[in-house]
Amino acid sequence: MSGWAQAADTAGAVLLLLGAAVSLLGAIGMLRLPDVLSRGHAATNPQSLGMLLVLAGVALRLRSGIDLGTLGLIGFFQLLTGPVAAHLVARVAYRTGHVGREGLLFDELDEQLSRGPDGTDTAARGDAGP
Amino acid sequence: MSGAEVVDRVLLTTAGVMILVAGALVLIRVARGPSMLDRAMALDVCAALMIAGIGVRSAFTRDAYYFPVMLVVAFLGFTGSVGIARFIAVRDRAPDLPDPDGPPRAGAGPGEAGR
Repeated sequence: MSGWAQAADTAGAVLLLLGAAVSLLGAIGMLRLPDVLSRGHAATNPQSLGMLLVLAGVALRLRSGIDLGTLGLIGFFQLLTGPVAAHLVARVAYRTGHVGREGLLFDELDEQLSRGPDGTDTAARGDAGP
Repeated sequence: MSGAEVVDRVLLTTAGVMILVAGALVLIRVARGPSMLDRAMALDVCAALMIAGIGVRSAFTRDAYYFPVMLVVAFLGFTGSVGIARFIAVRDRAPDLPDPDGPPRAGAGPGEAGR
């Protein structure tokens, strides 16, 4: 095996290890953070950065054209579908009151939601928190 | 087996063990909850970890046999959490929220928005 191929193999293994470490950090964050939105923040780690690092590592170790295409497609779909699910979960979390209010400095969405469609303030029905 | 290959195998095994540990931690979150939204998000992360684990295995054995499985998981893994968020998590609504018969908000509630 030539030197360049061996270097690509080792670089791929290092990238895989980095991706696994990022995934592990995200999982620890999911276990330790207090509420749904901050857990979603931690959940983004394995879904985007960890995933892309692992895919790059696999690509560096396999190095054939059609495999690279499949890996690119996997990364594309993961980046396409992850935000959809995260957005829906965060939206429902806000609207059902699963938001840790003590960590929020501003809540502009609450103002906008509790302002009626005609501009009148109907603040009594804002999300007061769980 | 040369020395660099031994290093590669050690790195890949460590990566696999890390991903297994991460999956175990995420399953603890699935079991604990407390709300269905946490479980939905944890299941999303579980799908991502499945892709990563299959990737580490493919890198170890240098075959592309399981790539279609990774593709399908990346493509369909989000449907479960979308379903939970849309149809199940609406049930455990906090009790001090307005009743649905009140005047409409600027955006509709989780049950009727975005169809």
